[in-house]
Amino acid sequence: MQDRMTPAERLAAVLMGQKPDRVPVNPFILGFAAKIVNLPIGDLYADPRKSFRAQLLCAEMYGYDATPMYAYASFGAWEFGGEVGMPYEPGQSAPYIIRHPVESPEDVDKLEVPDPRKAGSIPIAMEIAKLCYENKMPVVFQAGEVLTTAANIAEPARLLRWMIRAPDVVHKLNKKVAEFFIAVAEYFTSTFGADKCMAFTGGPVESNKLINPRQFGEFVFPYMKQIHSKVLGMGVHVILEHPCSDQNANLPYYVQLRKELGWNGKYIWAFGPETPLEKQIECFGEHDIIMGNVDPPSFQFKSFEDVLALCKDNIERGIKNPSGYILGVGCELPPLAPPINVYALMKAAREYGRYQ
Amino acid sequence: MKDEILRGLTDSVVSGDVEKCVEYAKKALEAGIDAYEAIMEGCARGMSIVSEKYEKGEMYVPEILCSAEAMYAAMEVLRPHLKVEHVGTPRKVVLGVVRGDIHDIGKNLVKLMMEAAGFQVIDLGRDVPNERFVDIAVREGADIVGLSALMTTSMVVMPEVIKEIKKRSPKTLTMVGGGPLSPELAKAYGADGYAKDASQAVRVAKSLIGGVA
Repeated sequence: MQDRMTPAERLAAVLMGQKPDRVPVNPFILGFAAKIVNLPIGDLYADPRKSFRAQLLCAEMYGYDATPMYAYASFGAWEFGGEVGMPYEPGQSAPYIIRHPVESPEDVDKLEVPDPRKAGSIPIAMEIAKLCYENKMPVVFQAGEVLTTAANIAEPARLLRWMIRAPDVVHKLNKKVAEFFIAVAEYFTSTFGADKCMAFTGGPVESNKLINPRQFGEFVFPYMKQIHSKVLGMGVHVILEHPCSDQNANLPYYVQLRKELGWNGKYIWAFGPETPLEKQIECFGEHDIIMGNVDPPSFQFKSFEDVLALCKDNIERGIKNPSGYILGVGCELPPLAPPINVYALMKAAREYGRYQ
Repeated sequence: MKDEILRGLTDSVVSGDVEKCVEYAKKALEAGIDAYEAIMEGCARGMSIVSEKYEKGEMYVPEILCSAEAMYAAMEVLRPHLKVEHVGTPRKVVLGVVRGDIHDIGKNLVKLMMEAAGFQVIDLGRDVPNERFVDIAVREGADIVGLSALMTTSMVVMPEVIKEIKKRSPKTLTMVGGGPLSPELAKAYGADGYAKDASQAVRVAKSLIGGVA
């Protein structure tokens, strides 16, 4: 079945609340793109030109609707003066932290908010953003999550212990992280214009596998609201929010966030597979786009037929969202997934995701 | 008196109160309570309650990490007083977070629960190269190797590690756990066991080796 719209037209239609030819597909692909074009995964995170090209070619080959971007889960450690390793060794699939820049409460006091123009991976993200801009694609910058970033700076277990033993230290660190994200947003929006930018945010430390909803309310919500409010205030219209892993108990806070922001801007919610699409539609369906959440490990070990069935089920449930739906994966697609299983996403979107 | 001290140990582990835990550990020794009994009936019982509360969603990781701190502080006081009869040959478990993944909270909680249950844990840390799991399993004659991963991008190395362990140390059992794993995936990877979280890990490990740590 042929597509009648280009990826850009399709995405624009969904963002404007119109129905495209079929549901768009964003498979949350990063490392997988490197494998497809026979590039070391390290290059996807270390070399902006190669990364852009790999992501673009992979999207072209499959025909999915995501554009290149730069983001990684260990964000924060390098940017605040620590050290990360790039995934060049066999078995490595994403940048990993070698040294956390904060080891003690005194380090938090001394920690300076870095200049985004020079901080860690930001120059690489900016190079990719420039290539996106030159190719008339949306510019995506990473703008959170605060607690995951703070955990990458201070080491996750240490940060979580401080939440009980020294909450003021966590707040001090979170304030600096929030200030940094706002500076990053200013850097990107002033370079390209806010209407060309989309903010991406998401991380696993906020999940209810680690913290309870009360802790989310105290240590995440105020900073998330501060950043999102500033980003929307700069004129960015779209925030791609990925509440990673199980965040069901945090859902009321995300709803509160949207209400308190006056439902301004458009959110694309990319929850993990733990959060049913029906629940997401109930919470955000009146205003926001829901991105599908097909179980990521299934792409790695299930058969093509099984993955196709999962995608079909996701489409049938997600397409009911009145403000739009994008077929997606609940977290990054495993880089070593068999290539045929990514095709299942496209086949499902074309066969079961057509709008009348 | 004895019951009160053991309960004090248990309660201070659950509440994560390091000072009280140390205080009760010292009181236990002063009162002539056997150090092994204080560990098993005081500290380990506390961790078992913590584990149940975690499973029910009544406690989360920040509180558990504080309980762990309290338990380790009490163990420091009690361990030197363990009698030789209690220092037998415990079952060996090798634990680590796989290559490319630095998220070791889950693995640390598994370690804690397993130590509290009497296993000898050899902790390889995080971002562990595949061959290190295998080498240590062979060298130590490990009963179980536990592999942990938080990210979908890092769990992919597990089948290779498991295959190599089976080849070089056929008696060693393997178990996997962590955010993106599932029973189906564990099976597909060739693992002998899967634990959803730290509270299940001990049960799974014990069932794999026939109930004795």
